[in-house]
Amino acid sequence: MSATIEPTVNGVRRRLTVEDDDLLLDVLRQIGRTSVREGCGVGACGACTVLVSGRSVSSCLARAIRYDQAEITTADGLPEDDDVIEAFVEAGAMQCGYCIPGFVLMSHELLAENPQPSREEIADHLEGNICRCGTYPEILAAIESAARRRSQSGVPIGETT
Amino acid sequence: MAVFHRPGTLGEACALMAERGDAMVYGGGTAVQILEKQGVLFASDLVDISGIPGLANIEETSSGVRIGPMTTLRAVETSPLVRRVTPLAARVYGHVANPRVRNTASVGGNLAHGDYRLDPPTALLVLDATVELTSSGGTRTVPLREFFVDFQRTAVRPGEIITAVEIPRQDEAAGSWFAKLSSLSANDWPCASAAALVTGGRRFGRVARRIRLGLGAVAPTPVFTQVEVAADAGADEAVDAARQAAEPLIDPIPDVRGGVAFKRHLALVAVEEAVRLSWEERSDARGFFRDRRRRR
Repeated sequence: MSATIEPTVNGVRRRLTVEDDDLLLDVLRQIGRTSVREGCGVGACGACTVLVSGRSVSSCLARAIRYDQAEITTADGLPEDDDVIEAFVEAGAMQCGYCIPGFVLMSHELLAENPQPSREEIADHLEGNICRCGTYPEILAAIESAARRRSQSGVPIGETT
Repeated sequence: MAVFHRPGTLGEACALMAERGDAMVYGGGTAVQILEKQGVLFASDLVDISGIPGLANIEETSSGVRIGPMTTLRAVETSPLVRRVTPLAARVYGHVANPRVRNTASVGGNLAHGDYRLDPPTALLVLDATVELTSSGGTRTVPLREFFVDFQRTAVRPGEIITAVEIPRQDEAAGSWFAKLSSLSANDWPCASAAALVTGGRRFGRVARRIRLGLGAVAPTPVFTQVEVAADAGADEAVDAARQAAEPLIDPIPDVRGGVAFKRHLALVAVEEAVRLSWEERSDARGFFRDRRRRR
């Protein structure tokens, strides 16, 4: 059975026809949000991460039909001057880049909840994100740098989504 | 492919569960989606209960907390109410999979999944939680200690939906710990897990302390046992008593995470870690495993 859903994706309201069993991952990619990627397909790697009202969701395990009226953010919908992305770029926190959109969104969720996370808290929050290039040290440094800069500039918490 | 239903009331959901041949409740959906991808989902109909109001609440009751089945695991983990009333439950819910999956996976679905390796049952067993089941015929309550009946089989009967999990208030003076040992990646299913709760003691004029143990992944179902130890016993004696009590329950299923002997050994290591840290938390003399503590 198909149904119509009206989620807001990166601030733009969409009207989409989906089948009952369509995954949010596939639906978002079909409308061009290709920063959302399939990795493991079982919620363990984080490549398919999206934010729904600021909360991370594995879109590979999510039926799109449940996201009518949802506020969805994908990494490519973040602003050009996004502070977390800038911190990742400056720290060289990527190699092939396949996993990075997921890491960036998880970092946004973490910093919104916990503006000054310890290294252990960062690692705990990102435990479900896998980088096969192994840029974990740079990713940790990037998130610490983004947290430091937010505390210095006084950016309101959770402002980015 | 299973037919997907989205009822708006519990009554409609119960009617669908009663009418359809092999209906399954669809909660957070994380486990169901994986089973579907693996081609091992055997259901004629999926009944999505996310559109039914009131199923995702956490409420304080006279005896503890009542948690709705659609409450996410992360909501339990981070709830100030759950952290205050039953800190062991909050801690253990924070160990399932990863934070993103916990944002979607539901309390009811997690238990109904019935897997022997789940984390939450270990805590819910020692805390003596109960599960409320509702069908078109009415409501009944099952103690969690009678909920897991066999390998991947629960007490949920055809037509029934989990409508609440109730957890009694945790004794404030109790020591508790959860040990989760993984042989593959850190957030893979555990090779062995153990939750421990140490209650009683001289502070209450009693001479004995009770160690309650809930074990995951070490037998075809989550298992529970308890043992009493003299209140003035040392941590080593407490650990020995707990290991002896746990040993007959350990009946590992060999798989990629380890053979029977390896898992049997790790199960006892998990028991030791959980009991030693609970015992020392109880007596405020933490130390041995302190560096391994995960802050949540």
